[in-house]
Amino acid sequence: MADAGEAVIVLDRVSASEGILAHLEDVSFTVRRGEAVALVGANRSGKGLALKLCAGLETPVAGSVRVLGVDPAAASDEEILHLRQRVGFVFAKPALVSNMSLYNNVALPLRYHTALPEAAVQEKVMACLAECGVELFHDHLPGGLAMGHARLAALARALVVEPDILFVDEVLVGLDAADLVRFRGILEKHGQRGLTIVVSINAPTALFAFMDRLALMRDGRLVAVCPPAEVARVDDPMVREFFGNN
Amino acid sequence: MIAWTGRKTVEGVAYAADVLFLGYLAFKELFSPARRGRHEALRTIARQVLFTGVDALPVVGALALMLGLIVIIQAGLALPQVGAGELLAHIVVVALVRELGPLLTAFIVVWRSGTAMCTELGNMRVGQEIDGLEAMGISVVRFLVMPRMVGAIVAIICLTVYFDLVAVVGGFLVAKVKLTVPFAVYLAGIEDALSIADVVITIVKSALFGLTIAVICCHHGLAVAGSTTEVPQQNSRAMLNTVAACLVLDIIVSVSFYA
Repeated sequence: MADAGEAVIVLDRVSASEGILAHLEDVSFTVRRGEAVALVGANRSGKGLALKLCAGLETPVAGSVRVLGVDPAAASDEEILHLRQRVGFVFAKPALVSNMSLYNNVALPLRYHTALPEAAVQEKVMACLAECGVELFHDHLPGGLAMGHARLAALARALVVEPDILFVDEVLVGLDAADLVRFRGILEKHGQRGLTIVVSINAPTALFAFMDRLALMRDGRLVAVCPPAEVARVDDPMVREFFGNN
Repeated sequence: MIAWTGRKTVEGVAYAADVLFLGYLAFKELFSPARRGRHEALRTIARQVLFTGVDALPVVGALALMLGLIVIIQAGLALPQVGAGELLAHIVVVALVRELGPLLTAFIVVWRSGTAMCTELGNMRVGQEIDGLEAMGISVVRFLVMPRMVGAIVAIICLTVYFDLVAVVGGFLVAKVKLTVPFAVYLAGIEDALSIADVVITIVKSALFGLTIAVICCHHGLAVAGSTTEVPQQNSRAMLNTVAACLVLDIIVSVSFYA
């Protein structure tokens, strides 16, 4: 399925830096429409920065990035605004607006970017909250929720605008086993409708089985890009340490 | 020493340019024809007016009453001794309506709402809420700064009028136990001393203070890079800079219109 799609994300010899936090050196890879790709690596391997570059939230110091045909570094404000509406991003922290209820948080992008009547907004928001299993908390503020529930609400907010690409930073953060199963179910469902999914993961997880490809990263460099079944063939100390004997 | 002065001057100019640019962007959003986020902006404006204006009524009222009492008692007892008792109303208008009303109201708004704005935006930065808004294509200036600016301006104008009324009328009624001036004579004197220009300049001053408080405090809140320890640091900078800016503005307006 993956190879047939058009390239929706192209990183070409990209270098970038977030100070001492992370850096990327000469990273190139492509994600095609409908693919599910995981950026895999330890903390400070550069996967989070790579994810932000892929989403157009950071600009490289060298090389070029194209997301849905747009170069975020050279795009106009109007092009960036349009791009943002086609991309959903779930941060490692839930990043929900703390003084708004979950319902209003999820409704926010619809109210801001569309002219939908409030009844249609309500229908979409409640459907998304129900899909993510947090509809019971729709009138709660994010601060009172468990991390997993808050991240599921953040996922609902990212999905409510029906994006072309979904980015999830540090998928495993705050999710318990049940949340993770639900998370995977949601990704699978939207993956089947053609959503491109790019996630970053810092520990081995059953989610790898759902991915089309893993992009393995170490010290700001891309070590290998391969299907999960072929990881064992990658000859790299980080990969051996990361995946152990499995 | 010269290098230090030069560096501080450059930093000061860059800071002023940043604040002015944020104010310009927020002001521009006010007249943007886009319907984007209008509902959310109105909701934030209403919340800001409620918190900055309505919730501050007791503290502003109490301060106005006490300050009005002090000024009227002092002037009302001292002026007759030098044969200038008829100047009481003029002194009240000059001291309370023109200067202390707008300025002290602004200080209360800085202390209550300015710090709240700076803290709220700083914490939003730390919690990646602002990154989340930007990732959704939601303008931080339109969603966060512009509504706070409008709310602060509306609230501070109303609060200043309220301050002046309480200080001038309430202050006299309390001070009456010590004064011999009849209330009707006092009110006639106030009516005579207070011009339309005084009212307009007071409102203009208040609007400028509201704009300054909101923009500077939002600027400092958004300047938090990502650590919670930066929030109180930016907060104290915001308070000092806002108070200084309000004083400078007050001098500029007063000198421009009254000198």
